[in-house]
Amino acid sequence: MMELIGEMLKLTVLAGLTLAGILVILIWKKGLATKVTYLRFLVQVVSMVAVFYLFTYPVWQLIILIVIFILPLLLGRFFCGWICPFALIMDAITLIRKTVKVRYRLLPDKLNKFLHNFRYVLFLVFLIIPFLLFLFDPPSSFDTSFLLAMLLSGPFEPLRILVGPLIPLIVPWEGPLAISGVYFSYPYVQEVILYSEVVFSEFIVNIIAWIFVGLTFVGSFFLRRVWCRFCPTGASIAVLNRFKGFKWAPMLHIDKDEEKCTKCGICKRVCPVQVTEVYEQKAGKITTSMCTLCTRCVEMCPYQDCLKVKMGGKTVFRSRNWLEPSTIE
Amino acid sequence: MKKQSKEKKYMPEISQKEVQELRKTITTTSQQIITENIKKMKKTDPNRPKAMKYFDEIADFTKREKEIRAAKQEGKKVIGYMCLFAPIELILAADAIPVRVNSGWYDASKLGDRIVPVEVCPMVRSTIGAKMIALSPYLELSDTLISVLTCDGMTKLGEILSDFKPVWTMTIPRVKDTEQSLRLWSEEIKTIKGQIEELTGNKIRGKQLKSAIELTQKATKAFRRLQELRKGPPVIMGRDAMLVNQTYMWDDIERWTEKTEALCDELEERVSQKNWACPPDTPRVMLTGTPMIWPDNWKVPTLVEEANPQGILVADELCSSERLLFDPVGVDEWSMSDMLNAIAERYLMASTCPCFTSEDGNEDRINWLLNKIEEWDIQGVIYYVIRGCMLYAMEYIRVKKVMDSKGVPVYYLDTEYTREDVGQMKTRIEAFLEMLSARIDL
Repeated sequence: MMELIGEMLKLTVLAGLTLAGILVILIWKKGLATKVTYLRFLVQVVSMVAVFYLFTYPVWQLIILIVIFILPLLLGRFFCGWICPFALIMDAITLIRKTVKVRYRLLPDKLNKFLHNFRYVLFLVFLIIPFLLFLFDPPSSFDTSFLLAMLLSGPFEPLRILVGPLIPLIVPWEGPLAISGVYFSYPYVQEVILYSEVVFSEFIVNIIAWIFVGLTFVGSFFLRRVWCRFCPTGASIAVLNRFKGFKWAPMLHIDKDEEKCTKCGICKRVCPVQVTEVYEQKAGKITTSMCTLCTRCVEMCPYQDCLKVKMGGKTVFRSRNWLEPSTIE
Repeated sequence: MKKQSKEKKYMPEISQKEVQELRKTITTTSQQIITENIKKMKKTDPNRPKAMKYFDEIADFTKREKEIRAAKQEGKKVIGYMCLFAPIELILAADAIPVRVNSGWYDASKLGDRIVPVEVCPMVRSTIGAKMIALSPYLELSDTLISVLTCDGMTKLGEILSDFKPVWTMTIPRVKDTEQSLRLWSEEIKTIKGQIEELTGNKIRGKQLKSAIELTQKATKAFRRLQELRKGPPVIMGRDAMLVNQTYMWDDIERWTEKTEALCDELEERVSQKNWACPPDTPRVMLTGTPMIWPDNWKVPTLVEEANPQGILVADELCSSERLLFDPVGVDEWSMSDMLNAIAERYLMASTCPCFTSEDGNEDRINWLLNKIEEWDIQGVIYYVIRGCMLYAMEYIRVKKVMDSKGVPVYYLDTEYTREDVGQMKTRIEAFLEMLSARIDL
């Protein structure tokens, strides 16, 4: 078993590095070092490999949950924009769509806002269910380690759902699909199988899993970053952000300069999750938790210094006159 | 296309003899004015950049007229436009030549009085007059006109000119940041795309449109480079820069970009040599208001830069100069629909034309002015309005209030398409500049 894991590790590292290498060559050759989109792809690919490694640790769920919940305090949803492997899958599908020149669809703003709020419902449902189970079927002892174990691996595995989008394509455990000893998985597929197994036979379970994969593929083909719009994992910072006194919370955020903005609307159009605040808000800190900090708007804004990404008051990256080549700070 | 044999809706009968006579006299004065204006510009800055020679040539209409005529012989179409909302990228993608046909001739405006009342904006009257005597080569050469229904004058101007040429109208919404406005405008863009395709016989495909967008982006890049150079101590006179910007309206865009880049190279060299066009402590002035069209309506910039004490124009907010090129078309994905969306948004949403309003008023224009004042270190603003230009005149108080709160003097200068008030204007401008110099000395 360990040998197999070792083999798979090598394979993933190899694949990850090859991809990263190809990207580096592409960036270098096209002189696109200033394009943040490419940089983001690189970060996503590398972090997918890193997530795979994390999963090989016995306490991976805890580590990842800490990362999901603590990181946003500092970086906002930077995690969603730059690290999440599911986002990489969706971005890759977007790339395919771009090459075949199919136009993406837009969700109506109201539906988009509704989905954004719907994530809290999902979040709460998954957190509350295990506690309800406690009520109906109280365990014999209440020591903390048992509680923790219950939360992590109880009948509904609530926290694994939050880790769901982080599942890389190749997993270091027995995934649902095995091809010559390498186990493949897909975000949420294991959970889908877990829950549907209770009711359906194996054949139907498989079909449901494939339907789920198909739906997310089709969804992210027509809608950019479709899952990010209601992903319950993305709610972790969003919850905090809603309360006054926690507005400082994401140290990393986008800042807008009113006078430099001509309201040309580019930021609104290029946003993959259809955030309208960057366009609508006149100036200052963009605090909406819908924003995944992918910085596409900052990259595309054609006015020098109009949009800035700030990290604790210090500007990390700023919109620039992209007609002129310039460097990332 | 419909035949133009229908009855004239507006045009009165004028005898051919009179037309010929008027045309002769006004063309001669026009030529004189072009030479004189260029001579004046050379006089103000004896050490004028060498690269300006090209723009002087283009400013004299005859050279470009010949080129366009030759291109027309080869079957190219010429599409004239009256407001900068006309999507130039689409015209270029269909391999047609875009030219702006607004008229700056003072004398022609008197002819326009025969059709529309004197209260109407003189630029509109002058364009009508120019058409009556076939004065403007670009207006004559254009196969069709795109009339964007912005202000009242422009709306009716298109209608009046439809006596001579097919006119395509584009309805522009008066509120820009609502969804329905954008939807309407996008539809207009699509319609005009179809019309352009029909006229030229060339289908606009993704590839052509992409290269057209890249062409204007390059022009914007060159333009922005020139504007950046104007941020520091004056290395180029304001009129020269305005002329460069203005020639974009009728020049071949690729060549224009090349020449502007060459000019910028020369200017950069001058910056390193600290070879200034005028003393660095000259009051820095910004122009805003009604467009100023070459060759005749060059009165105000000339007066500012020839005044005693002298002023220098370092920035402006005129749709005949900086607003032409300030905003690039920002394309997210190079698919046809996204390119069209990008074009629609660039023309509608990024514009600071006073024909728009919103809850906050024309906020974008105020922000533009404030940004220019800060970045270009403007010491005084001249708010230029020609009589009859209601929208700019009505926005003055708003601008004035904001400028007052920033402590930047604004001077309201209202005038006409006439040379008669030059003396009086000179006194007014000099008083303003004197005040600015006094403020600098303090």
